[in-house]
Amino acid sequence: MKASRIISVIVFLSVLGLIIYFTGGKWARTHVNYITATGDHPLNCLSCHLYTQKSGFIYKLVNKKYLSPFNLAVSKDGSRLYVVAQEDNSLLVVDPQKRKVLNRISVGNLPHSVILTNDGQKAYVSNQWSDNVSVIDLASAKVIDTLNTGNGPAGLSLSADGKFLYVVDSYSSNISVIDLNTGEERKRFNSGNNPTGAELSPDGKTLYVTSRRALIAPYGETIETELTVVDEGIQRIRDRRNIESAYMMENVAFTPTGDMAMITMIRPKNLVPSIQVEQGWMMTYGLTIIEQKENGRVIQLLLDEPNAYYSDPFDIVITPDGKKAFISHSGVNTISVVNIDSVRSLISKSSPEQLNSYSNNLGISSRYVIKRIKTGADPKGLALSSDGRLLYVAEQLEDRISVINTESLETVGSIKLGGPRIVTVARQGRRLFNNSGHTFQNQFDCYTCHPDMHEDGLVYNMASKDMGRNLTNTQSLRDIGDTPPYKWNGKNQTVYKQDGMRFSTVLTRTEQFNYKDLDALTAYIITGIPYPPNLQYNPNGELTESQLRGKAMFERTKDSYGNVIPENNRCITCHTPPYYTNLKMAYVKTLAVTDDSMLFDTPHLNNIYASPPYLHDGRAATLEEIWTKYGTEDRHGRINDMTKNQLNDLVDYLKSLRAPTYDNIVTKKFHAKN
Amino acid sequence: MKKHRTTIVSSFIMAIGFTCAFFSSCREKNKEGMIIFTRSAVKSNSTNFDKSDSWRYIPQAQILKLDPEKPEASEKVLTTNFYSAHSPEISYDGKYLLFAAQQKQNDPWQIWEMDLNDLKSRQVTSSKENCTDPAYLPLGRIVFSKYSADDTLKAGHSLYICNTDGSNMKRISFNPFSYLASNVLSDGRILTIGRQVFPEQGVPVYMVLRPDGTKSELFYKGVEGGSLFSPGLETNNGKLVFIESDKSNFGEGNLISINYNRPLHSRVNLSSEIKGDFHSVFPQKSGRLLVSYRKSESDRYALYEFDPEKKVLGKAIYSNNDYDVLEVVITGKHERPKKLPSEVDMGVKTGLLLCQDINILDMRPSATFSKSSKIKIVGIDSTLGSVDVAEDGSFYLKVRADKPFQIQTVDKDGHILRSPCGWIWLRPNERRGCVGCHEDPELVPANRVPLSVKKSPVIIPMHINKVVEKKVSLE
Repeated sequence: MKASRIISVIVFLSVLGLIIYFTGGKWARTHVNYITATGDHPLNCLSCHLYTQKSGFIYKLVNKKYLSPFNLAVSKDGSRLYVVAQEDNSLLVVDPQKRKVLNRISVGNLPHSVILTNDGQKAYVSNQWSDNVSVIDLASAKVIDTLNTGNGPAGLSLSADGKFLYVVDSYSSNISVIDLNTGEERKRFNSGNNPTGAELSPDGKTLYVTSRRALIAPYGETIETELTVVDEGIQRIRDRRNIESAYMMENVAFTPTGDMAMITMIRPKNLVPSIQVEQGWMMTYGLTIIEQKENGRVIQLLLDEPNAYYSDPFDIVITPDGKKAFISHSGVNTISVVNIDSVRSLISKSSPEQLNSYSNNLGISSRYVIKRIKTGADPKGLALSSDGRLLYVAEQLEDRISVINTESLETVGSIKLGGPRIVTVARQGRRLFNNSGHTFQNQFDCYTCHPDMHEDGLVYNMASKDMGRNLTNTQSLRDIGDTPPYKWNGKNQTVYKQDGMRFSTVLTRTEQFNYKDLDALTAYIITGIPYPPNLQYNPNGELTESQLRGKAMFERTKDSYGNVIPENNRCITCHTPPYYTNLKMAYVKTLAVTDDSMLFDTPHLNNIYASPPYLHDGRAATLEEIWTKYGTEDRHGRINDMTKNQLNDLVDYLKSLRAPTYDNIVTKKFHAKN
Repeated sequence: MKKHRTTIVSSFIMAIGFTCAFFSSCREKNKEGMIIFTRSAVKSNSTNFDKSDSWRYIPQAQILKLDPEKPEASEKVLTTNFYSAHSPEISYDGKYLLFAAQQKQNDPWQIWEMDLNDLKSRQVTSSKENCTDPAYLPLGRIVFSKYSADDTLKAGHSLYICNTDGSNMKRISFNPFSYLASNVLSDGRILTIGRQVFPEQGVPVYMVLRPDGTKSELFYKGVEGGSLFSPGLETNNGKLVFIESDKSNFGEGNLISINYNRPLHSRVNLSSEIKGDFHSVFPQKSGRLLVSYRKSESDRYALYEFDPEKKVLGKAIYSNNDYDVLEVVITGKHERPKKLPSEVDMGVKTGLLLCQDINILDMRPSATFSKSSKIKIVGIDSTLGSVDVAEDGSFYLKVRADKPFQIQTVDKDGHILRSPCGWIWLRPNERRGCVGCHEDPELVPANRVPLSVKKSPVIIPMHINKVVEKKVSLE
């Protein structure tokens, strides 16, 4: 009796086990197939459920805090390097001879750049997510003051006499002039769109400030990005030069003689149907050269080659003898070395027609690029020793500084900054995100169109069944893990699908990510892309009166005439907090004549102020235009009863929306519905 | 006692196991370094591309292997069951050998695959026409050339792909060019020698295309008056090496290197200081090259090592007074090329072609330069239509897939302005762009919306008013 009972239990458990195994396995297969949009992704629960946790114990267990060196400066005697560790919110003091980190100085949030005073006594560090600059006494290695700036301080420059600090406010698109005697902001100029780089000419008279985003213009017009020219002597804007067909002008350097300024840039092909990658049909990279003389020409030369692209040029430095320029390409882990005399020779002999042709010629780089030097992952900021013999490269995703001999053009050493030794899955995902190795001939990477993991402000002609149709406004990737589905038409239910085979067939046109890499990339996108604090429009969570009135409009259920607004036409219905999307598809009557019929995935609205232009095809230059020009039929919310002031209030409120993390709102964990 | 015996037996078994493993690994190591080469007592110098007796069909050729450590003592013929065999190619895992062979003298040439472990061969293709020059693609596929004569090609070799078991065979080239001596680049594209065969014979050039037959374009043009003779093979430092003749030695070859990054303008003759002829080249992992070389016409081609840095020939590795050594490869694992995704959809009947500005030319505009206002689309046997170009010089066509055509520029009075471009074909659902007409291949498009894409494409041939396609989903 006892034995038969045991046998019965064993049989029961076995049958149950088999049922669970087969039905569970089948369910797991169906689930994984749905999530990954493939049929053969390994049934590895950990790759999704472990590495995509956004918080909690498991998140801490599988992730590490890295340093991520971004920019750096060298002391005049070459005995110290000052390295901005962006993820560590610190400035690292490094002895390059001993290859040792001597000090770690805490600064503000997400530090961007560092500059040293001429006497070498102080360093200024811009804190992009704190809206201030840390003043550091280098002798004591302590922050001795904090200077308030505009929003998103990035590039820095000191006036020739050292009395003023120019701070480039990358988010509010200003240049702050700070009087270093008083520590007060003395002036604030408007700059180009999303400025970053700043450099004073050798004669100390002119400050160049480069911009990254192009000026907002209707699709089809030539893209232009502003170079802001400041007269340093009188502290006024002298000129605004719109550089055609270029954007992402990250940094600028002057030759020592001051005859040329060289600016890193991307020449995108967003107006050309994206039908192929071959022959530079998606992106090209190079330098904008501005001759420093009356009626000086603006010349653009590519750094690419016919079958090899050098994506994401970031920093540029020029040796003190003016012979060589070094450019970091963070997308291909490479430094390009340019012979400046060859550039001079080429442009001096060339007609305007020839120069125009060179700006689209992939072979011309062989005339002036003399070497490509490989680096570790994601080379960003560059700094030369004062004698020009050594070049230091901040390898952002390597937590390392590499050292290059500028004569032999060989890497002669590297300095480990002490970050975690292991590369976590999400960190590997970030490396993949920033690397063009998964695009045909390295032509671009995720970061190229999503700089700072955001979006580049351009509208692309994503030719699908036809050319000249399907215009697509690039969407931000910040904190998108909780807001599936993806793409404007919501066709991709998960990040896996978004970045899988479709990504390879339509965009990168080379071998798709293998599943290990796809898992890593997904883990990074889901867990590692935070919103910046919205310090510009919502610094502390307390809304202004106008924003409060706008909030009321956003949440209203009745229009100005007292009529009940149908639930599906209220802002709050589709744009539900905390991400301000209900994750559903909607019909808002903003299809263009050439669009195929489709519903739109309701976009999330946090930090929406930072994502112009608006609507799926970018036709609305401002938030206001969504309704004043393209919402006249009240299909995108009931709006037309509003007064101008009410609409202004609503827009004010929309601009105040910020990530739930800054309001301590607990959000749902990532999951895709199945 | 019993325990002791067990220990001895266990130790003995383990020792045998380790010994077997050791010798097995040594054998494996040797096999990876084996040289596989083709030799023939008779060498064809015919450079015909449109006949099946071209220089790519080597009569009475044998494929052999030898150990480079003891070349004279180790040679072994691998293709004893064949009348002739050549074009050896090693699989990416190093386990298989692909080659072209005739079992009997008058048989058509077929593609075969040999297991390098047991040296047994398996027939891949069973074609009535000659098949030759196979190369491995990723995903268990191969590409090869097949002789055919039809309305599209007239007569010559088209490119085909199929699985390594011969199934799922598909043609991927559709113009009157003959393609031979293919190789697969690490970027996943097929590099092949192409030569126009209709309406008149052109000069051989390296063409590159994706394995689905899309995005065919010029890779390397060659020197004037010269000819290309071998597959272009990549080295591990970003170069490609191959054999090319010039005016001084037409029919025989120089050893040439070009850069992958800029193939059209980086030619270096590595053998300019060496008297004699080269017939084939194979890059080794060490960076050195294996070459077949002869000092003079009265000598036989022998196998040598070549230092591309110093541009000097090493000692002969293998020579035989009765044979020419013609092709060489080395066994062992090597890096698999990228697996390129395909945009081809056989449910679609057409492809789309966009030209950004027909007035962008390779040559600089002269005083007599007149702008084109029209293009004429010319098929193999007839004109397919004339199309007005948009004000910005762009045009946008929807053409029947897998049919060759040329484009000719015409002025407003209908006068032909420039000679037609090379033969183009589009695969089903392919979308192709070109910057201009005979333009510099190093030019990229300017960033502007071509006016022509603001309208629907012009359907070619123009007598067709409407093409009913299957519904293509929006990306």
